[in-house]
Amino acid sequence: MTERTLTPILDVRNVCKSFGKVYALEDVSLKIFPSEIVGVVGENGAGKTTLMKSLVGIHVPEKGEWYDKGVKAAFPKDPKDAAKKGISIVYQERGVVPSLQVYQFLFLGNEEKYVGAFGLQIPRMKKAAQEIIDEFHIKCDIEDFMFELPLSTQKMVEIARAVVNIRLEQNKQDADSVIILDEPTAPLNIEERHELLNEIVRLKANCSFVFVTHIMQEVMEYMDRVIVLRDGRQVGEYDMATNKVTENELVRMILGKDIDGQEKIQRIPSRVDNSETVLSSKELSKRGSYYNISFDLSKGECLGVLGSAGSGKSELIETIAGINGYDEGDLLIRGKSTKNHELPYARLKKGVGYFSGEIANELFYDWPITKNISILNIEKIVTKIFHFLNFKTEKTLAADISKQLRIKTPNVNITVSSLSGGNKQKVTVGKWLEKKPDILLLEDPTIGIDVGAREDIYETILNMKEQGISMILVSDDPKEYSALCDRVLMMQQGKAQKIISKEELKEVLQT
Amino acid sequence: MSMVNRKKSLTILSVVKNYPVIIIFFGLIILFSILYHQRFLSPANLTATLRQFITLMLFSVGPTFVMLLGSMDQSFIGIWMLGSAFLWLLTPIIGPVALLVFPLFGLVSGLCIGAIHVKLRIPSFILTLSVLIIYWGLTAIISKGNPRNVPGYSFLTDDIIPFVPTPLLYSIPIILLSVFIVKRTKLGTYFYAIGSNEEGARLAGINVEKYKIVAFALSGLFSGIGSIVLFQHLGGTVPVSFSMNNVVRPLIAIILGGTPLSGGRGGPQRTILGALTFSVIYRGLYLSTLGAEVIDLIVGLILIISIVISSKGGELRGVEVA
Repeated sequence: MTERTLTPILDVRNVCKSFGKVYALEDVSLKIFPSEIVGVVGENGAGKTTLMKSLVGIHVPEKGEWYDKGVKAAFPKDPKDAAKKGISIVYQERGVVPSLQVYQFLFLGNEEKYVGAFGLQIPRMKKAAQEIIDEFHIKCDIEDFMFELPLSTQKMVEIARAVVNIRLEQNKQDADSVIILDEPTAPLNIEERHELLNEIVRLKANCSFVFVTHIMQEVMEYMDRVIVLRDGRQVGEYDMATNKVTENELVRMILGKDIDGQEKIQRIPSRVDNSETVLSSKELSKRGSYYNISFDLSKGECLGVLGSAGSGKSELIETIAGINGYDEGDLLIRGKSTKNHELPYARLKKGVGYFSGEIANELFYDWPITKNISILNIEKIVTKIFHFLNFKTEKTLAADISKQLRIKTPNVNITVSSLSGGNKQKVTVGKWLEKKPDILLLEDPTIGIDVGAREDIYETILNMKEQGISMILVSDDPKEYSALCDRVLMMQQGKAQKIISKEELKEVLQT
Repeated sequence: MSMVNRKKSLTILSVVKNYPVIIIFFGLIILFSILYHQRFLSPANLTATLRQFITLMLFSVGPTFVMLLGSMDQSFIGIWMLGSAFLWLLTPIIGPVALLVFPLFGLVSGLCIGAIHVKLRIPSFILTLSVLIIYWGLTAIISKGNPRNVPGYSFLTDDIIPFVPTPLLYSIPIILLSVFIVKRTKLGTYFYAIGSNEEGARLAGINVEKYKIVAFALSGLFSGIGSIVLFQHLGGTVPVSFSMNNVVRPLIAIILGGTPLSGGRGGPQRTILGALTFSVIYRGLYLSTLGAEVIDLIVGLILIISIVISSKGGELRGVEVA
């Protein structure tokens, strides 16, 4: 424990919470002092979410003490009670009401504080909102609609709203507040991420933060302290200023074992067959997104398309997938011209599959693993005439994939919604592993999953590549390019800059 | 032996959990048997309940396919009405073969509705409602508002087995076929996929637009096949009045059975239960002293309640997929 002269704003000790016979949290303690950012890291299922939910009164722990300025107090009963104690949470997604204006959203749920004889006192609300926007330096107008704002600004407004909530609940302007951020950067791209993190660092003057994240770089660069959870237990705590901890040590602490994945991945050979071009883009243009993009993709090659948000990389890969069309140019698959704006099913028939890490789009949540895998491979499990389903083949297929990908599940009839994030992602990769398309388009293939599962997925992708599947990768994580790509197409504002090799990429990423 | 028993009781428990409507079904049977002892379990009433069930079931099989996708098909009554009018026109010309006009008309109607729904992006609820009114209008124009009798098809409903309505025998293969389609074919799996996560289905390389049209075509076809039986079962004439009950009750049967308005779950196998339960409710109300208006009122309430129950079903996670 680090010595501090200040009294902690939040002080919980020996928190235990179990679901049935399984401990989700065992003797976890957490202290938050004024003006600091504390990172909470751990694999999916390590207990991060349970801890956060216990702090805001969604779960009530079985054991544990809550100290309020050194005096023992009860755990909060509900989020409102938590706000009274100075704790509020900003969820990872779906926290924003897009159709509201900024000032309406800031006071959402607290309107009764601004009710006069003639209904809502709009001018008073706007004035208070303007003060908050100024205090937090949020770059927006109070009359902007939430959906008009960039994602990072939306997060800032959400944070401001959490603070407002605490202040109104305590009826104090200078209330000590702890804001819990649950993977706030997950939906953001690299630039937005840094922008948000810099803003948060500046906001330390106003409140403290508990920051749940999977991204080690964020911990290394922006956190003051970090707490590592594994299997419901607190296995480490580091003060980033005094305790020099390396990223690898942190990852080892999270996993509880050495990461052998990196080496294993590097050992998988790349077999690019330059004599066989499977896909070529000839002067492809889509107005407002990308212009004159040309490249050839060889058999067994992975081509990365690297660029910032707005560079047109996502639109390009979605055009190839058949999700949207192009305006000019030509797209050749195995030397044959394609129709503009063919739908994904038509592209899949030509051997082009699209895999996105956005599992909401890839998974059928209340379906079992078997169905989620067979939906893409249905021709393998149906009889030749009439397409009758053969459930036995379906089950063997799913069991086979689960084994190959080390999906942690008692059996393959379990609905995927009950799996952990990493295992869900493995199921989505699994269906493509079975499908074996000629060309696989990858968009953020490991978004929002933890380190251990990520290595497993890289391994699977590289094994598929070794078998001769060509790939195009678009990602917000630069490391993904060096792990998977043979060549990288650099894009900027819709234009292709140059194509660089894997070795050149390493130099680019280091600078 | 005890192991076997335990296993059996477990499966019964899981069946009840998956199909909460079973509890309602048996509860109502017990309730009504006590309320109207002698009368409710009498052969006459049971036969009447079965008749009610058949009508309801044959009208609900087709729309269930469409509901699985999260869309709505209300044109089924129109297929029966306008089909009957066509039959009246065609029978004197081509004889009993004219019966085929029902499934053919249903198929064509479904294909057109599906194509319009997909290509012009008109919400299916309002589209099929409009189509229903159009069909009713056409029926009235063709029959000039008279109850045109179409003789020569009474063989369809002649009793084969006492107390068992003959249409029940016809409807069994229709129902089995529909269940088979959703449970054991690629088509059915795709229906569940589209209803459950349309965007996901599109990205998984399913031609969503095509399968939506197929669902409407199947709905039309099944409604057409059912209409052959219903036509004679409901009097062998071209209908002269349009009853909202005929539209609403099959929808209740579908939703009560456990296919939610949002689609992705349920299926014809569940609609059987919904139709059975609703038939029991209806007969129970019919035997009471309540007037027809009050019964309509109660039926409306039942629709609301069944929508609430079906939206709760997802939370129970008692979801089985094809």
